Amino acid sequence: MARLPAILALAASMILTASPACAQQTEEEAMAEAAASATVTKVFQLPEGSRPHDAAPAPDGKVWYTAQRQGALGILDPDTGAVRQVPLGADSAPHGVIQGPDGAAWITDGGQNAIVRYDPKTEKIDVWKLPEGAGYTNLNTGAFDGDGIHWFTGQNGIYGRIDPRTGEMDVFKDPEGRGPYGIAATPSGEIYYVSLAGSHLARVDGKTGEATIIEPPTADVGTRRVWADSQGHLWISGWNSGELYRYTPASGEWKSWKLPGDKPKAYAVYVDDRGIVWVSDFGANAVLAFNPETESWRSFPGSGPEANVRQILGRAGEVYLPESGTDRLMIVYTGTP
Amino acid sequence: MRPVLGVGALFLSAAALAGAPEPAGDPGRIAFQKCYACHDVTPGNDVAGPSLHAIVGRPIAARPGYEYSAALRALAEREGRWNEALLDRFIADPEAVAPGTSMTFTGMRDPRERADLIAWLGRQSE
Repeated sequence: MARLPAILALAASMILTASPACAQQTEEEAMAEAAASATVTKVFQLPEGSRPHDAAPAPDGKVWYTAQRQGALGILDPDTGAVRQVPLGADSAPHGVIQGPDGAAWITDGGQNAIVRYDPKTEKIDVWKLPEGAGYTNLNTGAFDGDGIHWFTGQNGIYGRIDPRTGEMDVFKDPEGRGPYGIAATPSGEIYYVSLAGSHLARVDGKTGEATIIEPPTADVGTRRVWADSQGHLWISGWNSGELYRYTPASGEWKSWKLPGDKPKAYAVYVDDRGIVWVSDFGANAVLAFNPETESWRSFPGSGPEANVRQILGRAGEVYLPESGTDRLMIVYTGTP
Repeated sequence: MRPVLGVGALFLSAAALAGAPEPAGDPGRIAFQKCYACHDVTPGNDVAGPSLHAIVGRPIAARPGYEYSAALRALAEREGRWNEALLDRFIADPEAVAPGTSMTFTGMRDPRERADLIAWLGRQSE
């Protein structure tokens, strides 16, 4: 286990990027909005070569991240900057991590083709391999439904579920094959996932496991990640289109916003406790905070070139930006603990 | 909203994924399962990554219309074309050969598996 000394930098970020939607906002209004949403960012150095892919809140204020290239679960203590990594197995290459209802880390491990659970109290690691017949699935991301079932995606064309109480696992084929990527649960516990190559959203029936495809209004937008806000709206990133989408399950309505910049490529998406939508843009090497009420954007540049934030998550008052390209993790403190 | 197209089906143990390399048969094709999520071998079919059709001997980072990372463009300047030896090193540890590559695959450690894959890719050129 590696233990690193800590914080690389502390910086206040107050960078505003005006979108066409807010072009008529007065300077006073912009300044007032900036003051109201003052934030502080901290950047933490992680082990060199760890290539942090996903991050998640851990117990006791710590932050988990997947050290994809080093086959480990990383544990960052933001109070001290201390980092240690827990090896997950010889072939491990973990992609996603979330905290389960049991307080454990649930990891989608592409290298081991397995769902991995890390218990922070006992440090016990459980590994559930996917069925032999599934082949290599390229496991991606997980989410828990309202019944405590862990659902996951695999980019080779599958999604699946495992019951933490029994270890029983089912694997399903996506109707269109290759591409299942981000997955999320709504506040009511329903599961949705998106397919990057298939460019669709899918709603999963928790009982039968069947997925019903919901096509975006435009084809081939490259739906990469999905997150649900407190109202149950689904926010989706368009990798190919450079757009941010909002789908309302109750009405079937889609709405879209083009990211600012010349050649946006929207990757990760997350909605924080204030309803601010965070989107990473590889084209701008930045993470953007979108206010749906004012339709304005605020930019948080990467801590270095090609920072490549591939997933965003957080807890009240904190937003985690794992930079896979710089081996750093940025935390944005939003002032709303 | 566009129409609903279909529903997923339970993955039976011996069934193959739609279009994915089957978990039995040519070892090179099986090894390609680890590339399949992002790459195709159909000419011109870029997925998340560029098509690997006729990759052996092809100029590096030269698929028209595909936006390569700075890391792959730098590799192209250093090495020129993909050959079997370079592919072997790259597939074993992409980050070591092209630091900063946007390809998140962490590497295929088994030399036999890499050799099978490269031999199979070499046949995907017609």
